[in-house]
Parts: sequence; C-alpha cells; structure tokens
Amino acid sequence: MEDAELAALAQAGDREAFGELVTRYAGPARRVARAILANPDEADDAAQDGFLSALRHLGRFDPERPFGPWLLRIVANAASDRRRRRKVRTAMPISPDLPARQPGPDVEADKERLREGLRDALATLPERQRMALVLFDVEGYSHREIGEILNIPDGTVRSDVFHARRALRELLAPWKDWKEQG
Amino acid sequence: MPDASPFDHRPDRELGDALRQALSDGNDARFAQRVVAAADQVYGDLGANLQWWSTLTEWARPGLVAAMLVIAIAAFSAGLWVGRGSATAANGSAVLGDPLGSDSQQLTVPVLLAGRQVPDVDEVLSVALRR
Repeated sequence: MEDAELAALAQAGDREAFGELVTRYAGPARRVARAILANPDEADDAAQDGFLSALRHLGRFDPERPFGPWLLRIVANAASDRRRRRKVRTAMPISPDLPARQPGPDVEADKERLREGLRDALATLPERQRMALVLFDVEGYSHREIGEILNIPDGTVRSDVFHARRALRELLAPWKDWKEQG
Repeated sequence: MPDASPFDHRPDRELGDALRQALSDGNDARFAQRVVAAADQVYGDLGANLQWWSTLTEWARPGLVAAMLVIAIAAFSAGLWVGRGSATAANGSAVLGDPLGSDSQQLTVPVLLAGRQVPDVDEVLSVALRR
C-alpha cells in the first residue's frame, strides 16, 4: 500500500496504518534525529515527537507529494527544537588516539570504535551539513527533496553535501581502513 | 569517497553505508512499538475533538433552521410595524391635503362674480379648467 493511502487511513483513525508508516520510516527518522542529536535516547524522543506531530497534522499532508520528505522535515524540526532548547551541544572532536589504533583481533570492538569515530566526526559539522549528508548519502534522497526537507535551495544542498564529505574525509583520513571496517 | 569536486553529485555508497551503521542500532522495531503505543494518546485526543466536532455538526442544521425562523418572525414583525407607520404617515398627509385644491373646489362662477374684489388669475383659471 502506498504511503499516501496509509496516511489517509491513519488520519481516519486506523492505528495499524499509522503503525505501518512508523515501521517504514523508523530507521530514517531515527538516523536523521541522531545526526542532529548525538544522544541516542534524546534522538529517539525527538523522532517520536516528530511521528506524533505528523499524526496530529496528517490533514496538512499533500497526498500528491512524497510522504518521506514531509515526515523527515517534521522529525528534523523536532530534533532541532530539542537541540536549541538544551543549548549548544559541545562538538566532541575525534579522539586523538582513535586513528592511531590499528584494528586488532576484536573486530567488533574495532567496528564500534569506527562508528563512534564517525559519529564524533559528524558532530563536528554544522547541523545543516550533517542533515544534508545523511539524507543524501544514507537515505538516498535527491537534492531537490532534501531542499524541501531543509527548506533551502538545491544548490545549497549540493554545496552542503560537498563540504560535509570533504570535512569527514579529512577527519577520517588517519583511520585508513575505515571503508573496510565499516 | 567519489566526490573529488563539488560537481560530483553521485551518492557515496561507502560513506553512506558507514554512516548508516554508525547511526543505527537495530532497534527500529522496538522504537516503532513505542511510538505506536504513544500514538494511542494522540488518537484519544483526536477522537475527543472529533466527538466534539460531530456533536456540533449534528446541532448545526436544526440550529440554523431555528435561527432562520427567528429571523423570519422578527423580520415579519418589524415589517408590520413599518407598515403601520407608513399607513399613519399616509393618513396624516391626507389630512393636511392640498390647500389650493380645497379652496378651488369651493370656487364657482357665481362666487367669483359675487365677490367684492377682482378674482385672482389662478382662481379664474382653476374654475375654467374644472369646467
């Protein structure tokens, strides 16, 4: 069933339809929230706020347009609001000893260390660049769709993605095997 | 990473996969259950609003009819009062009458001839035209 049909059913009171929408978009919504809020619990709270806010305002959803960008915009706003409310989060740079460590026998521990390094590197980027990068490279949205989600021109999205990638590349350069580890 | 230039706009699959793993914890199903459970409260609120709205809608039509009846009765009553006022005004004007007309009805040729003074031109014309 299409997202728009599920949204119409959910608006009419069908809880299972809403549950299906949540299941479909739980991953992207949580990742977008985590790109803004480093604390996973806080990010999940923001993602939940976004879903519930979307449910309350399903009447404003245009079924002629894709549901995902509409929902993720609400989630992103909820996460940004939370971030603003608790003041500026101190961006933690990548731990200096992280790149120096070579993958050891404990592969899982190394992978987790790399994930932590990626999260920390992501946290050093401006919020908009983070979101543009995650929405483009992780969630696969187009520049135009991301522009609608973030309410910025397509060209700005392209620029943000470019600068975010370059910054991440520099931050991850010492971690030579990050591709293999990921 | 393939983006050697800002003009390379292909998704970076390697970076995307790495970031996806870094930002995911595999508990999406549990999260979905939590959101659906929280949605019950929202549905409850929406249901209460819908109930309020449906009650208002049910009463809207009879209420509108009643209001129209009241307005019609009020308009009819006001119309009667206006009508009475108009009639009174019309009677008043009839009482006042036309002074020239009432005078000219009393004027006749013998009266004019019997008068001591020379009759006014208007009075002569009035008598002549009546004939």
